[in-house]
Amino acid sequence: MEEFIGDLWHRVVTRQAQTDYPDAQVELAVLTPQLAPFYRAMGGSPGKVLEASQPRAFNTQRRLVQRIAGTHRRFSVSWQDERSVRLPPSLALFPERDINEDLYFWLTALAAKQSYLQHWFIDNLRASYELLAEKPGLKKTYNRLVSAVINQRELLTGSSGADQEGEMAIRQALRDPGCIQSLPRTKVGLLPVPLWLYPPPMQIVSIDSEDNLDECESGMATVSQIYGSRKEANRIDDSKETDGLLIFQLESLFSWTEQVELDRCQDEDDEDNLASAVEDLDIISLSRQRRAGAAKVKFDLDLPSVHNDELPVGDGIKLPEWNHQKSQLVKDFCLLQPMLADDAVPVAIPEHLNRTACHLKNRFAKLHLQRQWQYRQPYGEELDLDAWLDNETSPVCSQEEQPCFKARTANARELSCLLLADLSMSTDSALNADQRVIDVIRDTLLLFAEALSGSGDQFAIYGFSSVKNKQVRYNLLKNFSETYSDQARGRIIAIKPGFYTRMGAAIRQSTEILKQQKSQQRLLLIVSDGKPNDIDHYEGRYGIEDTRHAILDAKRQGIQPFCVTIDDKGNDYLPYLFGSQGYALVNDVSRLPTLLPKLYLNLVGLNS
Amino acid sequence: MTISNYYLPQGREVEIFKGAAANGLPVMIKGPTGCGKTRFVEYMAERLGRKVYTIACHDDLTASDLVGRHLIGAEGTFWQDGPLTRAVREGGICYLDEVVEARKDTTVVLHPLSDHRRILPVERTGELLHAHPDFMLVISYNPGYQNLMKGLKPSTRQRFVGLSFNYPDADREVLIVCQESGAEKNVAQQLVALGNDLRRMKDHDLEEAASTRLLIYTALMINSGLTAKEACSVCLVEPLTDDLATQQAIGRLIDVHF
Repeated sequence: MEEFIGDLWHRVVTRQAQTDYPDAQVELAVLTPQLAPFYRAMGGSPGKVLEASQPRAFNTQRRLVQRIAGTHRRFSVSWQDERSVRLPPSLALFPERDINEDLYFWLTALAAKQSYLQHWFIDNLRASYELLAEKPGLKKTYNRLVSAVINQRELLTGSSGADQEGEMAIRQALRDPGCIQSLPRTKVGLLPVPLWLYPPPMQIVSIDSEDNLDECESGMATVSQIYGSRKEANRIDDSKETDGLLIFQLESLFSWTEQVELDRCQDEDDEDNLASAVEDLDIISLSRQRRAGAAKVKFDLDLPSVHNDELPVGDGIKLPEWNHQKSQLVKDFCLLQPMLADDAVPVAIPEHLNRTACHLKNRFAKLHLQRQWQYRQPYGEELDLDAWLDNETSPVCSQEEQPCFKARTANARELSCLLLADLSMSTDSALNADQRVIDVIRDTLLLFAEALSGSGDQFAIYGFSSVKNKQVRYNLLKNFSETYSDQARGRIIAIKPGFYTRMGAAIRQSTEILKQQKSQQRLLLIVSDGKPNDIDHYEGRYGIEDTRHAILDAKRQGIQPFCVTIDDKGNDYLPYLFGSQGYALVNDVSRLPTLLPKLYLNLVGLNS
Repeated sequence: MTISNYYLPQGREVEIFKGAAANGLPVMIKGPTGCGKTRFVEYMAERLGRKVYTIACHDDLTASDLVGRHLIGAEGTFWQDGPLTRAVREGGICYLDEVVEARKDTTVVLHPLSDHRRILPVERTGELLHAHPDFMLVISYNPGYQNLMKGLKPSTRQRFVGLSFNYPDADREVLIVCQESGAEKNVAQQLVALGNDLRRMKDHDLEEAASTRLLIYTALMINSGLTAKEACSVCLVEPLTDDLATQQAIGRLIDVHF
């Protein structure tokens, strides 16, 4: 009963205190596909992402009902750092939906304009002023926003208050961003201004408490993701002797925001508790002492046990490797083991890719049906007058009957493409809150396979990783002879990141496979996320020289290699490996799945 | 002499082209779509007093489309010179637009013309033509598309004097848009600012940047009575992308400028 009444009271009083308009609420997640290109077009750095910001506390003057309800203490304001632009996760400040939407676009434009913030008040005014001068179309939107903001502030602060002077200065500055130069001092904090950007949250000076147990990096057995906005984080010094012991004094209980001693690494089972704790905390302090519990240690150097591993096919293939120091090809140096995920379950195309896959398939299917005129045919639909004339007027006129017809036939492209995907451990790194690089590679392979199965082009997909020269794992995902089916799709979906990148051996084997194809054009497409490397001497120059040797060899055999990479340092070594025209660098990894089929069309010259 | 083609030089391309013409060297012009490659060639031809023979290349273009072929007339078959042969005989600029679209074996015909020999053997008629002193070969292409199957052979590339074009800087572009469309300066300035914003979206959101040509089209449409927003929508948004979210983002961007 007590709980029920409390709940009811909470709801009533919160509704009384509420100043938002839930009916006009606009979500950041919905608008992001528009805001991101807008941000880039307005001059924002293409490397930054748009993310939701966390509410932060403001010491403002609150009305009685707001104090009772405990609202209007924390506000989601916008800010940015080198990595991202943070905007409120949703906006419902104004009664009209489109004004809330306009506010998002205004904030994005302001963030693009103002790359750093030295003085909150002056810099915001200056950026607003310059933006309005440069983009005259923004004036109307801005004026509408300003009058809505001022209305709302009157509603929230009332007309009387201790800090009328400061409030008035803000309102004046909003109306005319070109005129005011300083803000009068105020005792109580002013209401946050939703039209302006704020500095990043205060960071506690970081103390280096990292230790060197890097091997335990992925020690957690299950990682539960907290979706939504990103938490503020800071590092604390956690290297004291009293680890894990909470000094409990009833009279001075720590509040949530101060410090909670959660020794995450040494906790065993309370993942659920942690997840809920994370949601409650404003700031998460992390210390890096990665002594993970014994049960969770995972050595990525170890190969999986035989029972858990894929099925090795055959005894392995011996391949040479180029030693640049000796300038010689060392025979039978690598042992490449073809692997087949025989226990992969056949699956249909995943839900989230369905639409794109259909679209790509249809587009590629049109290429399949493309019919072209074939000239100088012995029989056909029309006379090839050019051929006949050529024959008649040729200085050496042949007496034999010449083929003088033209026929329209479905143009079978003489093309085989082998897609080789890097499945090394580095693809396990997180891309954003809910995606790893490997997930993007998986989607890429799936969409690529869907597209090519539509066009009827010959294609095969393989993945590779390695542990030294004796264990180069070459995963068969789809070979040239099988048709693309749920079985192959299941194998692609089952790919797992692991081990290292001995690229040379994988390229040599791919070259061998492509050589057996009788097509006129043979394309070796490599999708990678970094440099060739392995845990033995295969790194740096050695790895690059060996890979280059394998690529040059492939070229000599009439195969066209092309590399698609997401390594932003790729410009350093890729031209040396593949030639200036032989690679593409994808800046925005999330676009890789849709970019690769397009790139394929460009490569094979069908996109004109 | 008045020149009917308007061209505003961005650098020393006019002098370079003149130098190449004086020495009988072929010229290769690279640049994104709609940045003024064709206009430059037409302008230079007019300045040098030479005729232009333009060939738009495509992948079905054969050597006989360039050199010539026999045709059937009332009197029987007769030989018809192709545009390349005509330019070689009469003297003029033979301009191969988007040359990478042509198959590599077709462009090999150009080899003897583009080195010191300056000859064109016409196999069908058994002629060996020496190029007219005023003959000049100019090719252009857009290096933006990565294409393994298409592209110039290194042996072809190495015969040309290369000029690289890009979109003009903002002040020049405003002048060009005003001149070409007759638009008012402030309209042209906003269009160019919008164009430069759109160019930042290249690679991320757009496959190709908004060209000067598109900006001129937009200005022309504004002149003929469309509102700025309508004109931008039909001349910029639609030609640049099919993606709905990107279209909406560009729509927002247009609102910011007009």
